[in-house]
Amino acid sequence: MKDFDLKLPENLDAAIGELPAEYTREGAQVLAGGQDIVTVMKDDIEQPAALVSLQRLGLDGIQWDGDGGVTLGATVTVQTLADDADLERAFPALREAARSIGSPQIRSQATLGGNLNQRPRCPYYRHPSVSCFKKGGSVCLAEFGFNKYAAIFGGGPSYFSHPSDLATVLLMLGATASVSGPDGERQVPLAELYVLPEESLETETVLRPDEILTSVTIPAPPAETRSSYLKFKERASYDFALAAVAVSVVLDGSGVVTDARVVLGGVAPKPWEVPAAARALTGKSMGPEAWTAAGAAAVADADPLEHNGYKVHLVKGLVFRALESLA
Amino acid sequence: MSRPTSRPAASDPSWGERSDLDVLNRDIPRVDGPVKATGEAVYTHDVRLPDMLWARVLVHPVPRAEIESIDLEAASEMPGVVHIEALKEPGDTVRYLGDDAVLAVVAAETPDQAADALGAIVVQAKRLAPVVTPEQALEEGAPVVSRRRKADSNVGRANERGDEAVADAALAGAVAVVERTFEIPIQHHVCLETHGHVVQPAPDNDQVTVYASTQSVSGTPRGLARTLGRDASKIRVLTPHMGGGFGSKFGPGLEGALAARVANVTGRPVHLMLTRADEFAIAGNRSGSRQNLKVGADSDGRLVGLKLEADKLGGVSGGSLPGPPYIYTVTDGAAVFSKIRSVHTATDGSRAMRAPGHPQASFAMEAAVDELAYLLGMDLVDIRIRNLESAVHHRQLRRVAEEIGWADHPNRDRPGAAVNGRAVGIGFGVSVWGPGGRSSRCDVTVRPDGSVVSATATQDLGTGARTYVAAIVAEELGLTVDMVEARIGDSDLPPSVTSGGSVTTGSSAPAIKDAAHKAREGLEALLTDVLEAPVGSYVWKDGRVSVRGDASRSLPWIAVCALLREPLLAQGEFRDFLHEGRIHGAQAAKVEVDTLTGRVKVLKMVTCQDQGLPLNRLALRSQINGGMVQALSYGLLEQRVFDEQDGFLLSDNLDLYKIAGSQEIPEMVALIDDEDERPSVCGMAEAPVIPGHSAIAGAIHNACGARLTRMPFTADNVLETLYGKI
Repeated sequence: MKDFDLKLPENLDAAIGELPAEYTREGAQVLAGGQDIVTVMKDDIEQPAALVSLQRLGLDGIQWDGDGGVTLGATVTVQTLADDADLERAFPALREAARSIGSPQIRSQATLGGNLNQRPRCPYYRHPSVSCFKKGGSVCLAEFGFNKYAAIFGGGPSYFSHPSDLATVLLMLGATASVSGPDGERQVPLAELYVLPEESLETETVLRPDEILTSVTIPAPPAETRSSYLKFKERASYDFALAAVAVSVVLDGSGVVTDARVVLGGVAPKPWEVPAAARALTGKSMGPEAWTAAGAAAVADADPLEHNGYKVHLVKGLVFRALESLA
Repeated sequence: MSRPTSRPAASDPSWGERSDLDVLNRDIPRVDGPVKATGEAVYTHDVRLPDMLWARVLVHPVPRAEIESIDLEAASEMPGVVHIEALKEPGDTVRYLGDDAVLAVVAAETPDQAADALGAIVVQAKRLAPVVTPEQALEEGAPVVSRRRKADSNVGRANERGDEAVADAALAGAVAVVERTFEIPIQHHVCLETHGHVVQPAPDNDQVTVYASTQSVSGTPRGLARTLGRDASKIRVLTPHMGGGFGSKFGPGLEGALAARVANVTGRPVHLMLTRADEFAIAGNRSGSRQNLKVGADSDGRLVGLKLEADKLGGVSGGSLPGPPYIYTVTDGAAVFSKIRSVHTATDGSRAMRAPGHPQASFAMEAAVDELAYLLGMDLVDIRIRNLESAVHHRQLRRVAEEIGWADHPNRDRPGAAVNGRAVGIGFGVSVWGPGGRSSRCDVTVRPDGSVVSATATQDLGTGARTYVAAIVAEELGLTVDMVEARIGDSDLPPSVTSGGSVTTGSSAPAIKDAAHKAREGLEALLTDVLEAPVGSYVWKDGRVSVRGDASRSLPWIAVCALLREPLLAQGEFRDFLHEGRIHGAQAAKVEVDTLTGRVKVLKMVTCQDQGLPLNRLALRSQINGGMVQALSYGLLEQRVFDEQDGFLLSDNLDLYKIAGSQEIPEMVALIDDEDERPSVCGMAEAPVIPGHSAIAGAIHNACGARLTRMPFTADNVLETLYGKI
């Protein structure tokens, strides 16, 4: 790992001022909990000359807006999201997602902003000796090589699957990120935060190199909403998602779904909303028939590679199980 | 300095009646538990010496290459670099990803400086076809990667046993026949402590000190003698604590030789421990295999014929796989045919690993037995008992069946089916092992102040050996374990065996017992004038000695020792009659399968294990549990992954090389088979690692009808077995 300067700015403008306008492998980057960027540096993927810490910016607050919505600071730890009783009552799926992340040690250090901005886990990307599209190279070795963990949606020319659990659940919850840069603050809905490899290879989000994600606002859920996050970890103790499902439904008095939202994680280079699955549920009675139909709709457009066709079966099963847990 | 007590033994030592034991055959907390729990225990990794250098090796990232240049200039000018050396020259080839791929060694003042210097070495190499899979190795015109002299292909000579025509005829006449091809991946040892040494050089011909993470304290001096340029007697190896070996740490290896060489050259202590990535690339593994197994049974479920064709996948080494039928008996031995060969890839050679070859053989054989039972509508336990000769296996299978709840299980003679995508199943497996015992020595010293030292060079790999080094002596002398100091892990102590094949206990314990017995008789010789009874007529119990049958003639331990004018040294050696190495074992596993997601959750595992006299029941259960966990992890998760295009070892970390964690661990029951009343001891570590993954695979099949023929049992495997590959 190359030496780097640690910047500890006292305010947001100073922090933004430390960041470069253009991306380079050596350019300064944001440091929150350090659980991802430090591994990226240790694996020699990027070599930022400086890390700009958010530690002194006071971004670790949780503010309720009085209507049931909440704004979560970028440096709120994942463990806080997993433990906070008010969040659990309002957004149980968020807590399930937070609890599924990493290990207790990692959750205690990792942050909301860091989780949303983490880099791919593709073993080729992480291997210090491998060059790939995501590292300025000219090939995706996963496309024809080991692609068991790769994307079944939205791939090409790179086929990594996005690792963020919180991105998946926050998209389902209709959250919006606040992003600050030299030109001030802008609001980016989670649905617009991420980009596919066909749009950009050097980054996974619409954030510019000199922008900082400062908070995420989750609107109050409609009354009678039920939501769940179900993540399948190959190693249950500690793992990224093979696939995950964030789902919410609103039921009428007779158990018929009047509204639904289904977002998949771990299967595409960004959190992958499947409106077809929501449509398959809407107007149906909550029950195995509707859950099976939703699962089938969720994978209808899947385009698996050689070793990840099982994710098609898996997503169907997870959609079913996630909905079953809400019945 | 005390002298050996030279008097003939009045009697041979014995383990005694179990009902008389006060220390052994009980739960003894391990004597080094507290220092391990607090971090006070110093492992080789933890050794810090004044002026010590930190060394690292550079491993080429792909298995095969022609080296064009290795430029050390920039690296040698990095801060803190003291020694840097290339191990290959331009024109040399890297033949496989193993020790042959180590291109350079660097030693620096700090670990970070050593790592940075490694990164600054510029290697130009032409990458060659990787040959990392058996398919690549068997391709027409594939590069020959075998290390055998004059090899013209990557296939070793097939070992054929039996008459194929006889086996075919028997199979043709069988009532039920099953044929399957099994694929078993390569498994890493995953020792918590990676391989390595700290070498403290010494001037002239003084004694060099080597801290080694080794399974062979007594053998390592010889292994380093040539590199260190001195007689083995001038090399002292210390292994005070050791973080696991599982068969991968028998010798110093290239990493030990390099540590010694750098220490020699620089004259400074050198710390060279492999990183996890290095470890997975060059420090050995359990060989994989592909087995096509065909087994037939008669209408009573007796095995009547068997054919096995297998490829052992041991990289550049041969790999291991015992011949069939594994443990089970075929009624006519002539109806067994096998053809086993090695297929070599340009990858790290396999090494011994806890029961080498056995878990691989178990996986195929237990699957075949399960499937024959279902074809015949037989109970899974009944068919096993019918085909196992040993009554020990029979009783052990019945015990694990009882403990796992077999009698109440609905799918005893046919697989079940999922209800709402959920299914519960039970599976079984058996093991055998022959833990040896051989020459080993121990010194027991009793001092006039009552202190006792039990000393033998043996290493404690984490098994609890250190505890019985004290406990056996405590038992013999009527003391508590804390009154005996155990000294181990030092090649200057009386020599012990290399820990491989579960031989440590069977070798060391008899020598310790012999020394303790001699010490006791030495003390009894002093008592003949005091308590007026001959040697052999004393009872040593609760910190006192008394004359057998006359408790009034008695002395406390401290008073006995006060009779000594100088320390009493008793030298024990291996006594064959104190050891017997023939053990069995049975396991059962209960799993829940989610057939919608492919999740396999192991709910419970049970082992019943014999080993003669249990020296320490707590340590024994721990080791049985460890065997179950290792087998579970092997079955559920472990798999080495190579990129097949270029040959990168993608799973060179514990992120992608997944091992079981706390959430994978089921309820575990370790039953000690107390119907085994043999008055002997032996090791047993290999047996409980053999059948666990087989029992889990059997339980998955039993739950939902999906027979997984490859490992590990991850969701992709389960889902593709159930619904086909997309």
